[in-house]
Amino acid sequence: MPTRYPREQMHRIKYTKLAPEQIVSKLSAVNAPTSASPLSTVLSGKSMKIVLDNGPVLNYRFTDPGHLSLAEGAGAAVQAGYGALTLDRLVLFTHLVPKTERGFTVVVDQDTNLATVFEVWFSGYQDNREVQRQVYYGYVETAGGQAPAERHAITNRIEGKGFYWKQDNGVETLEFYPTVLYSNFVELTRFGGELSFCAPSDYIKISDDKYIYSRVEAEFSGTMTTYVLDPNRVEQIGIRLGFDDADALEYYLFRGRGEWVGQIAQFEPFGDVGTTQAQGNRAAPAAGKGARQVYRPLKTNPIMTRAQVDAAVAQTKTLFAPNNAMAGNKGPTSTFLAGKELTLRYDNGQAYNYQFVDVGRLRWRREGDTTWRDERYESWESAPGVIMFGHLLGGAPDHDAFSIVADFEHALVTTLHGTMGTPYMGNESAVKTLFGVVEMKGLTPPPKYRRHQFTDELVGRAMTWNYQQGLTSMHLYSTPHSLSWIIFLGNGAGGLEWSGPASYVKIRDELYFAYWLEEACNGTLGTILINMRTMRNCGIDYGAGPKGLRLSIVGAYARHAGRFNTLKYFSAKL
Amino acid sequence: MVTNRSTRRSFISVAGAALSAPLMAAGAALPAEADDAKARLAALEDKDAIHALNQLYARHVNAGAHEELSALFADPADARVEAGVRGIAPDGFGEQDEIEIATDRRSAVARVRWTVYTEAAIGPSCTLVEMARLQGEGVLRSTESALFENRYVRRDDGRWMIGAIERAS
Repeated sequence: MPTRYPREQMHRIKYTKLAPEQIVSKLSAVNAPTSASPLSTVLSGKSMKIVLDNGPVLNYRFTDPGHLSLAEGAGAAVQAGYGALTLDRLVLFTHLVPKTERGFTVVVDQDTNLATVFEVWFSGYQDNREVQRQVYYGYVETAGGQAPAERHAITNRIEGKGFYWKQDNGVETLEFYPTVLYSNFVELTRFGGELSFCAPSDYIKISDDKYIYSRVEAEFSGTMTTYVLDPNRVEQIGIRLGFDDADALEYYLFRGRGEWVGQIAQFEPFGDVGTTQAQGNRAAPAAGKGARQVYRPLKTNPIMTRAQVDAAVAQTKTLFAPNNAMAGNKGPTSTFLAGKELTLRYDNGQAYNYQFVDVGRLRWRREGDTTWRDERYESWESAPGVIMFGHLLGGAPDHDAFSIVADFEHALVTTLHGTMGTPYMGNESAVKTLFGVVEMKGLTPPPKYRRHQFTDELVGRAMTWNYQQGLTSMHLYSTPHSLSWIIFLGNGAGGLEWSGPASYVKIRDELYFAYWLEEACNGTLGTILINMRTMRNCGIDYGAGPKGLRLSIVGAYARHAGRFNTLKYFSAKL
Repeated sequence: MVTNRSTRRSFISVAGAALSAPLMAAGAALPAEADDAKARLAALEDKDAIHALNQLYARHVNAGAHEELSALFADPADARVEAGVRGIAPDGFGEQDEIEIATDRRSAVARVRWTVYTEAAIGPSCTLVEMARLQGEGVLRSTESALFENRYVRRDDGRWMIGAIERAS
């Protein structure tokens, strides 16, 4: 029986704004985490005093395999249910603090007695359902023993790794760690693996082959996933805490096995193992408990109505402005089209006539119309005979724009038809891909059925894009239908990250026409022609906001950053 | 009053005298020479004080410590740092600084060469720039060696203060 996926992808779900009382009520209804795998009894009957740097002393007594008492510092002991799993000599246990919105997830190395403690709580951010966390490092006090000098610590030693995971409850994910602040996750079973999403994440080194990973699905459900992983054996033990799209509590331990899908490049200086995080001209995140860097795109890109967008566009249209952060490495403007007349005929029945007046002005009309419209355009010749150009469609109902790649050697064209406004946001682009042919005097028509085609050849690849000095991003072509973009920290480590729906069209070998939509973000439609021989792109961003409508130039130099071998996970599951 | 060119020559002669002081000390200590030594000592102390003031200025600029920076100026309202400057460092050990003390020791000018670290915001904003700024990037960083002509004033209590920090035109 086919899986019933949610009607909406994660970024479209309107998660309930839960009140603290609702959260307490839901947490109080459970005694301990569930688990599909047998729980460990290793702690049963033991007591443990965990001393934390800059944190509380946690005095645990594990009365039986499912119950513990905890005294925080000199506070009174409370009783709680707990669950524990082990991976070799590592123990991960978790419990809630009854009648509160708090809990703890603790990882103890029984060999070194070092401990990492996640204190977690709800209602610490304006969206109460978003799990907050404070990570403490310390050790288990031993009678007569000296406090160890070592600690678990943040790391970049698993930056760039990617895994396929299958939990003991059947949940399958792809998870990539392309930055030291964020991670990508693809929900293969829960959401069908269409899109990847990004979440603020913690990466903590226990040893060279044991790490702790944790993410909070901020801006979505707010759910926290924390696990210990062994990258050699590709095994994990972990815990998931949060509320799903139906507001049901997910609080379970899991054991998982996976597959190694690859390692992409790191860009820190040699010798930098990520024990600190470069924060440029910003102070480290405010010292507040649980503080972390979280990208919240809708905070800086407020949603506009259709009427607001129409009014802003009527006021201002900015077309190919020279002052553009993304165009510092743009290629030279092409003169190829100047003076030419042609028709682009698409398979959907539409056809457009063009007259290119010069290198920046064109006239267009839909075939059959008698009236020509004048537009500004920009164009680049990415490869011999392959021209990318774009323009607005003045008078079109949705502030339409075309981003076009025409191959004059093969008489083929692919156009990304952008429109402004979606059912979710007035200032969010939508796009349709049109395939067709170029008709021009002297041009040999292609065979009847040959067209550019969608491709998976980029999927799993990572490429850096340097737009100008001081502005470089990395694309991770994370699924056949999505793309993630990563911003580097000052030391070259990956930093903040976000993603959106995308698609990829093959124009020629090593030449790809890609788009991505910054949905639930600033609404931009990014379109780029990626030339993997010259390692350069050209492109056009299309977007609207309070400052009106804009078509802007994109131009960047590329470097390969590696590849995850993930295609097999996206094959159709019928 | 700020010294003029002739006063600068005057300072140099004082400094030259200071260098040759050990030789002169071998002769008889006459009253006039004692006065000269006192003047030379005062000039060296003033010069040291201004060096120290410049070091403090650099430290506070680098730390973004605006309050502490203002406290170095005779008029705190003059404690302005050029837009985009994120740090300065005296070139070398400041041994090439040219400091001229007015004959009345009430003011001084200094020509100093500093390395200036600047950041210029990359713009206009877009998603990438917005994200970069969130993590302390999104700026174009540059470094230049620049000549400054600074003015200083000495208060009645003998403490030197900054009058103005200005790039040489």
